[in-house]
Amino acid sequence: MPILDGALKVGLDHYLYLSAVLFVLGMIGVMMRRNVVVILMCIELMLNAVNISFVAFSRYAENVNGQVMVFFVMTIAAAEAAVGLALAVTVFKKFREVNIRFFEHLKG
Amino acid sequence: MLTSTDFLFYVLAFISVFFGAAVVIARNPIYSAMSLVITMISVAFLFGALDAWFLAGVQLIVYAGAVTVLFVMVLMLFDLKHEMKTFSKGLLGNGVKLIASGVTLGMLLVYIWSTYATEPTFKPLPPAATSSIKATKDLATSLFTDYIFAFEAIGALLLIIAVGAVTLSRITGGTHHADS
Repeated sequence: MPILDGALKVGLDHYLYLSAVLFVLGMIGVMMRRNVVVILMCIELMLNAVNISFVAFSRYAENVNGQVMVFFVMTIAAAEAAVGLALAVTVFKKFREVNIRFFEHLKG
Repeated sequence: MLTSTDFLFYVLAFISVFFGAAVVIARNPIYSAMSLVITMISVAFLFGALDAWFLAGVQLIVYAGAVTVLFVMVLMLFDLKHEMKTFSKGLLGNGVKLIASGVTLGMLLVYIWSTYATEPTFKPLPPAATSSIKATKDLATSLFTDYIFAFEAIGALLLIIAVGAVTLSRITGGTHHADS
């Protein structure tokens, strides 16, 4: 089956499909979970999905600019996890729970 | 004909999507963290399949190592014995969220299919460029010449983040000093 064979041959589009699926999975998690730590994990999942498409485009265009961007995304992800978890610890100290609804008390 | 690299891609894609869904679905946050580790590792192997060997190593060390350990440490600190409400309430709201996610996924997939499905597959790299040392050297050259300002700015950002995280963790008794 030449058509199916052509569709199964892995190219740029397959990596982009995978990236889109992982991104939407992370998006569902961010919207539907209540635990702040799990929400942060889902954000990491979304950033990883973006990284896959960056690297795939970098391989396709045969230059390293996309990979440099992945470095920056990884750094931002680590920084975001650090601050988010520090906030979660602060909220946990006060309310003994890390449910997202307590974050509306973060004033001043 | 499917080559071994294609087969590897399908296996890794299945693993990463399966455990990515497990991150979202698992009730216990520890299971979410462990599923996230497996997703990260399979993404690292996908980077390897795309000849980004240095990034594959960084992904393993920084994500699967450092960031996930940070998550697990915080979960251990919380010690959530009682199961909180895992998902947000409201059938209508959740339905709208799922439909919006499905529509987003559909639009993305159709866009990718209509734009990139006719593109040729990856050209094989010249033998000199497939050497991981050469690829890493190119990456470093680009990082320290074209992107030097962004690189330094990221360094400054990391310093600010470190100070901010320490400041946040020094706050005792939550955010309301008046009533605590």
